[in-house]
Amino acid sequence: MSAAGNQQLIERFRHQPAPLLPVLHAFHDRDGFLSEDALRAVSEGLKIPLADLFGTVTFYHHFSREPGGLNKPRVCTGNVCSLRGGNELLAALKSQGATAMPCSGRCDEPVPVLRGHETLVGTTPENLRASASPLPAPNPGGCEECIFTHIREPGRATLEGYKRTGGYEALTKAVREMSPAQLLAVVTESKLAGRGGAGFPTGVKWKAVADAAGNPKSVVCNADEGEPGCFKDRAIMDHDPHAMLEGMALAGFATGAARGFIYLRYEYPETFRILERAIAEAEAAGLLGANILGSAFSFKIHLRRGAGAYICGEEGSLLNSLEGKHPFPRNKPPYPVTHGFENLPTAVNNVETLASVPPIVRNGAAWYRGLGRNGHAGTKLISLSGDIQRPGNYEVPIGLPLQTLLHEWAGGPLSGRTIQAVTMAGLSGGFLAGDSLDCTLDEPSIRSKGSFLGAGGIIVFDDSRNMVAAAHDAMEFFAHESCGKCFPCRIGTQRLTERLNGEAGPRDLAAWTEEVRDIGAAMRATSACGLGMAAPFVTDSLLKFFPKQVENHVSAK
Amino acid sequence: MSNPLADMAKPDVIFCIGTNMTECHPVAATGLKKAMARGAKLIVADPRRIRLAELADVYLPIRVGSDVALLLAMAHVIDREGLANHEFIEARTAGWEEFRQHLKAFTPEWAAKICEVPAKDIESAALCYGRGKPGAIYYTLGITEHICGVDNVQSLCNLALMTGNLGVEGGGINPMRGQNNIQGCGDCGAETFVFPGSVPITDEAARDKFAAAYHRPDLDLGHAMTKVTGLQECGKSIRAMLIDGENTVISDPDKNHCEHALKALDHLVVIDIFMTETAQLAHVVLPATAWAETDGVACNTERRVQRLRAAVPPAGDSRPDWWIIAQIAKRLGIPGFDFQSPADVFNELCSLSPTYGGLDWDRVSRESLNWPVPTKDHPGTPILHVDNFTNGRGKFMRLGYRDPAEVVDAQFPVWLTTGRRLQSYHTRTQTGRSSGIDYLLSEESLEVNPEDAVAWGFQDGDWATVSSRRGSVKIKVRATDRSPRGTVFASFSFADVPVNNLTGSGYDPATHTAELKVCAVRIERATN
Amino acid sequence: MTEHSMNATAMERKLTMTLDGQPVGFSEGETIYQVAQRAQKNVPTLCYDERLEAFGACRLCVVEVEGVKAPVASCTTKVTPGMIVRSGSPTIEKYRKTLLELVVSENREVDVNPLRGFASQELTTLVDRYGARTGRFKGKKSGTSNKSDDNPFILRDYDLCISCYRCVRVCAEQEGDYAISMMNRGFSTQITTEFNGRLKDSDCTFCGQCVQTCPTGALADKKALRAADLPGEVTKTRTICPYCGVGCSVDLLTKGDRLVGVQPAMDGPANGGALCIKGQFAFDFVQHEDRLKKPLLRQADGSFKETDWDTALDIAAAGFRRALEQHGRRSIYGIASGRAPHEAAYSMQKFIRAGFGTHYIDNCSRA
Repeated sequence: MSAAGNQQLIERFRHQPAPLLPVLHAFHDRDGFLSEDALRAVSEGLKIPLADLFGTVTFYHHFSREPGGLNKPRVCTGNVCSLRGGNELLAALKSQGATAMPCSGRCDEPVPVLRGHETLVGTTPENLRASASPLPAPNPGGCEECIFTHIREPGRATLEGYKRTGGYEALTKAVREMSPAQLLAVVTESKLAGRGGAGFPTGVKWKAVADAAGNPKSVVCNADEGEPGCFKDRAIMDHDPHAMLEGMALAGFATGAARGFIYLRYEYPETFRILERAIAEAEAAGLLGANILGSAFSFKIHLRRGAGAYICGEEGSLLNSLEGKHPFPRNKPPYPVTHGFENLPTAVNNVETLASVPPIVRNGAAWYRGLGRNGHAGTKLISLSGDIQRPGNYEVPIGLPLQTLLHEWAGGPLSGRTIQAVTMAGLSGGFLAGDSLDCTLDEPSIRSKGSFLGAGGIIVFDDSRNMVAAAHDAMEFFAHESCGKCFPCRIGTQRLTERLNGEAGPRDLAAWTEEVRDIGAAMRATSACGLGMAAPFVTDSLLKFFPKQVENHVSAK
Repeated sequence: MSNPLADMAKPDVIFCIGTNMTECHPVAATGLKKAMARGAKLIVADPRRIRLAELADVYLPIRVGSDVALLLAMAHVIDREGLANHEFIEARTAGWEEFRQHLKAFTPEWAAKICEVPAKDIESAALCYGRGKPGAIYYTLGITEHICGVDNVQSLCNLALMTGNLGVEGGGINPMRGQNNIQGCGDCGAETFVFPGSVPITDEAARDKFAAAYHRPDLDLGHAMTKVTGLQECGKSIRAMLIDGENTVISDPDKNHCEHALKALDHLVVIDIFMTETAQLAHVVLPATAWAETDGVACNTERRVQRLRAAVPPAGDSRPDWWIIAQIAKRLGIPGFDFQSPADVFNELCSLSPTYGGLDWDRVSRESLNWPVPTKDHPGTPILHVDNFTNGRGKFMRLGYRDPAEVVDAQFPVWLTTGRRLQSYHTRTQTGRSSGIDYLLSEESLEVNPEDAVAWGFQDGDWATVSSRRGSVKIKVRATDRSPRGTVFASFSFADVPVNNLTGSGYDPATHTAELKVCAVRIERATN
Repeated sequence: MTEHSMNATAMERKLTMTLDGQPVGFSEGETIYQVAQRAQKNVPTLCYDERLEAFGACRLCVVEVEGVKAPVASCTTKVTPGMIVRSGSPTIEKYRKTLLELVVSENREVDVNPLRGFASQELTTLVDRYGARTGRFKGKKSGTSNKSDDNPFILRDYDLCISCYRCVRVCAEQEGDYAISMMNRGFSTQITTEFNGRLKDSDCTFCGQCVQTCPTGALADKKALRAADLPGEVTKTRTICPYCGVGCSVDLLTKGDRLVGVQPAMDGPANGGALCIKGQFAFDFVQHEDRLKKPLLRQADGSFKETDWDTALDIAAAGFRRALEQHGRRSIYGIASGRAPHEAAYSMQKFIRAGFGTHYIDNCSRA
């Protein structure tokens, strides 16, 4: 830990944009934890007040402040993994210093354990093994796909494999034959909308960035796939990374941005290495970097790794995190399209959204629109997990009936079981059950049932499950991930968790229900960001669909 | 200050020279920090690596007493690079062409040798200030407490004049006054060169006015005597002295001389709130009411006249200073001391001072205004020199660099500079008696560069004897990067470490301000 | 405010919006909260300090904006022309009450001694206004007091902290010191210094700004609290700080004849509520036992003896008379104080000029 070493680590990133996270990771990797000495050096080197730096470091789940912390096992005890033995595995690994981590996006292959920079999967200490993340199964409905069309082809993650079936043709066409305005028009006409959950029309967002004053502009790829039960972006990045990179470059071309950032969640260490390699390959081939394909267009992608904070999937928090600030959400307006990274115009797009763009440019807007059903445009990736025969990622036409996905595509519940409930939007949409399962996979339909599709994570609970416990696990996750900035979310998620696990709260059902509803109403109406607004979906849907289980829970205390 | 404190958050470029603002004027410094948070650039020239230096975009660790050289070279660069504001120069100033010729010789390379900072940093500072729209200058005693204090100030004026940074919001030349009412003290004419309202004592009309008002037909026209001369004359022409609330013995340079002087008086009357080292030498000590016990008026560094209010009863038999002075005056038969209240005193001041003409006790009790306030309906003057200067055109002064009164040599090889610390005020008669301050600052120490400490064989906490041509003190050594090599620092706040035993090498010939910021010393080991 | 800028403001306020059914003028850049406060709507808040950038943490200031689905935080939302705002519908008031009940539920104490700090009564006042002492939402308490910080000025009673971050923000935005920040997240959030140590070991300058902006008294003035048990009400007297030349406005806190503390004047023209360690905490010299309480005369042996005013003043005057008679009017000199008020300085110079016709008067500005 010599001072010279410290200087070298800092110098490597000091003159790059968004240097704090990579510098902290460099120290974390070198020392196995973040020492006081390291933080002092970083504070001095990057001119960040030490108190701020210390506070910010403690915000992230995965920065260890104890020697050896990095290499201790972290076991997923998320909502799906806790159905699959996550807690038992954690107990079995306690002697190795294991700690719990929230959902790490491997719900299709539980239970993941993070050790150093490696993901192991298994259910006992003995059967833990390193495993590449699962590929999506061939489309069970025989539907035409947009994103997964070529993902199952061997060698797809390499530049050569990607180019074999038209990779980078869209970018080539754009820089050689199209104006940014023409590209914007195609994306707008395709009706592509944000696939991270917000559903904002991508073309409109890009145009706003293109029109906004201020330079340099940025494209930020939100790869902080933190929503429990969501692992679709991981599939794209692990198996088709160039699709996302090409999408980012196209976004840069359309918006006039010359720099791009990928904000990748900490829990995908293998993905980090895959992206690193893919970026290097593309740069070497002149497909990224200065003067792409000999044109005047330059686009440099910076890969940044998060450190374990669900809230950093919220775009304001993500931007603050990139900038090295405390990762609280930002007040909106202004929006990132005018005041994004470093307060300059920025397009923040989800991995899936960006990966959709190259096929759209290649095949045309009309083609993409035609992929949906019942007047809905395009496709949506669904991460399906929990008590279901064939968990995994599915690319569905928007408007596909939910029951078709559950029973025909994914094989229905485990044998002898029936489906009691599913979550929507990972956890954020709360539960659907009973008749409400008769909906189609599009926002208007799901919203009519009191939930939302969001990022497309669906967790299945069969009739063996205690739904109050499931709701508790969900709320505990939100409480754990609440950033602490706004009162309703900071206190509300805590109080709802306590009421769901029986630690506190009235013993009278009416009073219990009133408290839970009042907290939920205040959270939904007054929270500062989506986390606090969405968390009460869990309790509201619990009360709606499972009043008997609630009654049993309250009276059993 | 030419500009109000509220302007401190407004400049594009801030040039701080000879001011340790975060410690000595911490609340004013918050304005600068806000300007910087907005994106303003900060230039700091100071021998010591103070907090401001750490915040600076351009930091010039100049050798103590080399300010004029730096400022001449900056002016040289600003002119050379075409950054002078010719419109302003044309409209508002005099002597530009001669000044320009004068500047030619003072290159950054020339100054670099004197200031001991790289020429390129002087260039950067000059370009940065020259491009500031607006650029503001802040200074404190680090500029004035030199034998060339007036030259230093004039040099800063030259910079502000040539860039047109006077009379504009967020610009100006802004000396930060050190004591709560030192500005007011001057406003009241308690200064040898001026009458109340800053009118020179050489002004015949003013002399006549005060001669009449004070029933003193023989009132001198001119004939000033500064405190420095006054002290030198003690026991000679000066035989009796009245000192109000000043611990001269500790705060003034050359403590030994000062003590001898006061002891040589036939009669010394001291008015104070504590038995200070100065009061110990008095024949009569008169107890005054303190802040929080006294109704009155004070004026801050931005010329804002504000009401002081009593909140608690006086300690013991203590009385307000004005009452005590009036009682002595009455016993001497001096007319015009029938004041019944502080309002009476203040209203008389307002009636005689052109800058306070629009003020009175009631108005000051209602609102606080920046003087000049010439009439009752005048809203005050936050920014001076907006349309013109008091004396017509702003004149460029052609100055040269002079060495300090004392330079380091074989016998006294180390520079000593003195100043203040955040947690203590002046001679600690107040902060030293406020509980808790000791927790943060319990003793004085000599700040020494760590490499010097090693070279001189000191460890933290070792005792050193510091000697100058005038005296010596014993003081604990503390190694810190704040001190540059070859320069040490101490404050004069602690009476048990009378650092002013060492100072007093010289005085500015015009103002008689002492060169407290520079003297040559020798440092030796001491045992305790 | 100059005439020019007053006109400008009046002109800018030509823009109008509708607030609770009434047309209201506003200027470009104003937030809903600012306009509502000017219209005396008394919108509640716990995280707002007008000197700081609006933060949007407490959400108490939410209002309804026509055309916007969810209520918006009025402190962070700028008004746009034609905007239609309802500042306190029954629905909104119900949310506010729920939020306050939640805050009460996480806190160990709501009623605190006003000596703790300038803003320390904000929480208890709002809780009373909304009748939020219902005891609902019981559960874990948040925050942990720092018992190991031995500094004599600032009590760090985080048991009472509600994570509004005013302290952190005032330290950064107002003071530029960045000595404190927040560690952990969510309900485990804790105000901290670097490595969660003592303030003395941090960049803290003990200006006390965090204490004075704290709305719950979690950060408290330890020196003022020494007088917590003194009988009587706290009285405030507006004056100016006795230290440097900035001239910060302060309110002196007294209980009976006792000076017990200082609070910054938030509307002080020179400081806008800011203070430094000296102005904030170094006030008790005034009633220190060392104060001179009687006139003193030097005795032949060099010691001093107390006397009455008449005697002392007679002797004081006699010395000057003797000098005048024996050595003439140019033998007398006066030194005025830069720390005493105008009345002292003016009297001193008049004493010399009117008394002896000379200008043999000076002050410590040359020191």
